[in-house]
Amino acid sequence: MSAKRVIIFGGDPAGVAAALAQAEAGMQVTLIEPSPGLGGERLSQTQLVVDGSAFVDPNLEAVKKHPNIRIITNAQVEHAAAENGSYRLRVRRNTARVDLEKCNDCRACMRVCPIHMYDDFNEGLGFRTAIDFFNPETGTYNIFKEDMPVCQATCPANLDIRSYVGLIADGKYEESLAKIRERLPFALSIGRVCPHPCETACNRGYVDEPISICTLKRFVADYEMNNEIPPPVDVPDEFHKEKVALIGAGPASLSCGYFLAKAGYRSVCFEALPEPGGMFRYGIPEYRLSTPTLMYEINWILSHGIELRCNTRVGKDISFADIQKEYDAIFIGVGAHTGIKLQIKGEELEGVVDGVDFLRDVNMGKPVNAKGKVIVIGGGNVAMDAARVSWREGFDEVHVLYRRTKKEMPASPWEIDAAEHEGVKFQYLVAPIEVVGKNGKMTGLKCLRMQLGEPDASGRRRPVPIEGSEFVIEAETLIPAISQRPDLSFVPEEGGLNITRWNTFHVDQQTFMTNVPGIFSAGDVETGPDIAIRACANGRKAADGIIQYLQAKGSK
Amino acid sequence: MQYTTDVRIIRLMCTGRVDPPMLADAFMKGADGVMVVGCHFGDCHYITGNYQGKIKVGLASRTLDYVGLNPRRVSFSQCSSAEGERFVNMVSAFDQTIRELGPLGNAERVALPELKDKLAIAKTVLSREKIRWVVGKFTEFTTTGNKYGERFTEHEMWRTLDTIIMDEVATYEILRELENAPASAKEMAAKLKLPPPHVLKYVLALQRRGFVGLAEIDGTSPRYQIVDPMAKEEAA
Repeated sequence: MSAKRVIIFGGDPAGVAAALAQAEAGMQVTLIEPSPGLGGERLSQTQLVVDGSAFVDPNLEAVKKHPNIRIITNAQVEHAAAENGSYRLRVRRNTARVDLEKCNDCRACMRVCPIHMYDDFNEGLGFRTAIDFFNPETGTYNIFKEDMPVCQATCPANLDIRSYVGLIADGKYEESLAKIRERLPFALSIGRVCPHPCETACNRGYVDEPISICTLKRFVADYEMNNEIPPPVDVPDEFHKEKVALIGAGPASLSCGYFLAKAGYRSVCFEALPEPGGMFRYGIPEYRLSTPTLMYEINWILSHGIELRCNTRVGKDISFADIQKEYDAIFIGVGAHTGIKLQIKGEELEGVVDGVDFLRDVNMGKPVNAKGKVIVIGGGNVAMDAARVSWREGFDEVHVLYRRTKKEMPASPWEIDAAEHEGVKFQYLVAPIEVVGKNGKMTGLKCLRMQLGEPDASGRRRPVPIEGSEFVIEAETLIPAISQRPDLSFVPEEGGLNITRWNTFHVDQQTFMTNVPGIFSAGDVETGPDIAIRACANGRKAADGIIQYLQAKGSK
Repeated sequence: MQYTTDVRIIRLMCTGRVDPPMLADAFMKGADGVMVVGCHFGDCHYITGNYQGKIKVGLASRTLDYVGLNPRRVSFSQCSSAEGERFVNMVSAFDQTIRELGPLGNAERVALPELKDKLAIAKTVLSREKIRWVVGKFTEFTTTGNKYGERFTEHEMWRTLDTIIMDEVATYEILRELENAPASAKEMAAKLKLPPPHVLKYVLALQRRGFVGLAEIDGTSPRYQIVDPMAKEEAA
């Protein structure tokens, strides 16, 4: 390559002129233009009045014919990286859906096109048809097709919401459920617990209220379960010989196993706790997702060809090195089950129990010493769950302390409202400073009042302590639920796995492979504590990554 | 078994043969109700004829409803040749419905002389290629999908058809106004009782597609006239 290569963004007259100048100077020019044709949207302003006239850049023909210029229209630059003094770009090219070689500009398509849409060039003043010329003189035709609907784009799993909600409207419930299961095996569970970012984004919300996407999903899944329709198990007749180990049996691992089975790969799932389900089983309280419902769904997923080994803690009952030897690929989806410490004095006292530990104990049916007052610290959904569960367990009073105000609480607003409605007492602008105790038992919590200061990096106003406002709340139990971290103690140090400072894995966002080939990871253990649908979505992507990896390995 | 003598039977080979403009035509010729009776689904001699028929009748009834006809005047029902009693019951029930509604123009959103005009528009809309193409593709799009393998739900298809009906009715109302004399968007809006920006949107779309051109500028408002797109091309 003798000539230097130049990339020019934008094909408006300035971009075209620059491309020509560079090409004349002997450079290899690539011209990238997001719209379907060059010349920019330079229709003359009198176009409304003077029919059929358009501004055409005189350089346009010269650019098209120049041997050193490569034109890529309908394309966006998605990613740019600089290395060793040069740039690498990833360009996504949209299809025009019109074969320009064959198009002879007869405009018959425009006359019969049934779809009207706002003409964005005229700022929505008029309508245009979905198939349209870009510039009347250059005549590059294309069919404008929108990207994903907003709900689908917002959903971490990119569920085809438009289709499955439409199929419910048609009354085709089983087809609708099959549509959901193309990308998500947990229709029953997600339909119950998802905080549905899709509904927040829904355009219908601007008219009256958003479509109840999440509840509709629950409806079709319940329809199948309640009518005892056997859920379809769709796996190939012959499985491949490679085997995959799944560490953890939570949403991410089971989604991964489900999609591996659909592609014909058997997997073995190692779970430390006595029952599968991960946070679905041990984190989410019974009143939000009942165990029989969850087990119904998990048993169906396991029936695709996933072998489950419960009570098998990796690192204790089986070593990580053994798994590495025995299986062709490993997927780590152990979740984030260790609560973050408050880092205050007296945290080791009896009566202080972490939020996720508390929820796990309750979900396992362990007896809880529910006496007196309980204080829950935190404003997330785990804190809300812990507060509502402790209220159900029979504590006399449940207090939630949060260091900002209700407006800044990260928990879903309906959860906060439900907790308030049930009688949970909220105290805002309060931060704990010390657990007070006697004879190794907790008796109270020393707190400090706060006020809101300037917004911090997360955009929420930072709480600032008020000097001398200490006070003590008497309580027998304290449940800190401020956040969780994954427990990665089972991963051997000599394995060379990169672990971030948040105790999560660093993975490739396309294949979800860690820095060690053959070891994949997704779910909370990769993202940190997050919503279940994202774990399921990333589990599916990791399954695709594993399939690619195994195929590449097999073909060697 | 006896049924009312108020019905006129028109025999067709298949409900799939029912062309949507036929229904508009029936009302224009003075019928007070139209009932389409075909075979049961799955019994079709032509395999999918009655599915097509259901969609075509559905489309006609939606269009007629949009221009102001009471949708209860159109019915689609199924009955095999062996179900004589069922047929009699259906006809009697429909006859009763129409008797309750009264003659055309009595139970409608639009009064009679205007309704006739609107029915003519509906007939034009239903006989044009745009709607015919979408209706013809309806079953294909909901079962096997389009060229790109994208399948659509019936719900989506009907919603799309509803917007097309809306667009087409407005478009042909505007074109009919322009056939009389060149007019500005404001003048047409006043006549058609539509908001002027709405009319302008359709006029601009028509202009872009080559059906309408500029006639003159009267003060600040442009007047449009009909252009024959084919003639213009032949001249060029």
